[in-house]
Amino acid sequence: MELCWRYSSGAAMERFCLGLRERRIEALRCDRCGRRQLPPRPMCGDCRARMSSWVRVADQGALVAWTIVHVPAMDGRTGRPRGVPYAMGLVRLDGADTTLNHFLRMPEATQPPLALGARVRAVWRADRRGAIDDIVHFEVMP
Amino acid sequence: MRSVAVIGTGQTMHASRRDDVSQPELVREAAAAALLDAELAPRDVDAVLLSNMELFEGRAFPELWVGEGAFGAGKPCLKVATGGTSGTSAGIAAFHQVASGMFDVVLVVGFEKHSEGHTQTGMALTDPLWDRSVASGAVGNFALSISEYMAERGVSERQAAMVAVKARKNAANNPHAHLKNARVSIEDVLASRMLAHPVRLLDMCPQSDGACAIVVASGDVAKRRCARPAWVRAAVTRHDRPYLGDLDRRLATMRTLRDAAHTAYRQAAIGDPLRDLDVAEIYEPVSYAELAWYEALGLCQDGEAGRLIEEGVTSMQGALPVNPSGGVLSTNPVGASGVIRIAEAALQIHGRAGARQVADARTALATGYGVYAWADVVVLAGAP
Repeated sequence: MELCWRYSSGAAMERFCLGLRERRIEALRCDRCGRRQLPPRPMCGDCRARMSSWVRVADQGALVAWTIVHVPAMDGRTGRPRGVPYAMGLVRLDGADTTLNHFLRMPEATQPPLALGARVRAVWRADRRGAIDDIVHFEVMP
Repeated sequence: MRSVAVIGTGQTMHASRRDDVSQPELVREAAAAALLDAELAPRDVDAVLLSNMELFEGRAFPELWVGEGAFGAGKPCLKVATGGTSGTSAGIAAFHQVASGMFDVVLVVGFEKHSEGHTQTGMALTDPLWDRSVASGAVGNFALSISEYMAERGVSERQAAMVAVKARKNAANNPHAHLKNARVSIEDVLASRMLAHPVRLLDMCPQSDGACAIVVASGDVAKRRCARPAWVRAAVTRHDRPYLGDLDRRLATMRTLRDAAHTAYRQAAIGDPLRDLDVAEIYEPVSYAELAWYEALGLCQDGEAGRLIEEGVTSMQGALPVNPSGGVLSTNPVGASGVIRIAEAALQIHGRAGARQVADARTALATGYGVYAWADVVVLAGAP
């Protein structure tokens, strides 16, 4: 028997995901504290205020933190293990105030290594379907 | 509010596998030991609080399966599940129940049997739309924040390794501990396998099978039943925002732990924690976490954590021994780990910590750390 779970995204996440299909990243800005937040959600948790101001965010930014994972971790969507090693990062996209945790492309020997502050950009999937993995990973810019 | 004290503790032998017992039997082992320690019978218990992360073992409502093992049948019996903070949060819930006058005696039992499950099923199933795509397990998610912390505060891999060595050496004095190794060296830690940069195998907590229980009692019961009650002087819990990236410079700021500690110190009239505390049992899932928590708990200025471990300030011979039990780095049955922190702090006040006893411990700190943000801070003392 195959079991299936379906989750409602809510309006804010729906708009965000539909934007990804068009390679567009949008954050919600809190009109009280001014923070432009990703992933978008309808309320600013710090100000307890509803957010409705959408702002366009670049698909590139600065690498704020990184790690290379050597232990197999389960892909929560498929239940299958991810291949190791793989790299993860916290990326502050230009125009956002929060950071996003996402995969990083493992740099090859000829490329700049992972380093704090490195400029990174999104690598988009060709067949985008409005999901977070429409961004395959971020890569260090040459 | 009424005064509240921890008057009994009990824990199992913790190990990578406890195949000799089922989960209800494991729970019963700790619950019975705590009641024996408090010289109480199951009929004296008004209510039971359990802490366990049910998805880790992949079964629903564990309180139904194991509640009877904690003497919960026919009594109020609830479960608390907040990741690593589960046990401290359950303890704090019991403090509230007793302080309110609702109950006189509450038994708290935390447990986890990691050998019968997979931590990742719990860790990967948070927000299904974002985190499920990018969650990286307990190791990867924690490791992600360390590079930023190390750069900002100048912490080295060697200083983190010193934390790991201290934990395993202290654990050698604790008969209940899972990992203990009095001969482990800094070089051993630095040569151990890389799990997720910069976290190596010996920098990381194990996954343990184990349970721990505490008996929480009202002041009246405590004075009647216990020679040296561990009085609850402060109990504070904090929640935070949902995503890893919401928390700017997470390990450097750690606002949940900082705020909880600040509030707890005010409640307990602690001016300088390094001077006023005699012992601390803090929830450090990774060696690097202990260094970050030194700063968040105000044991030193920001940027001084590396110096604290190098100078031995937090060793058994130092000004403030941190984790005489060996800590989470030596024993980690997640649902029990927070209860163990409170139990070990209480044992120090009871003066019954055996080879890991800190002489004349009068004021003890216990903390919890859950998922990547939640924090609990408890202060126990020899006087109400």
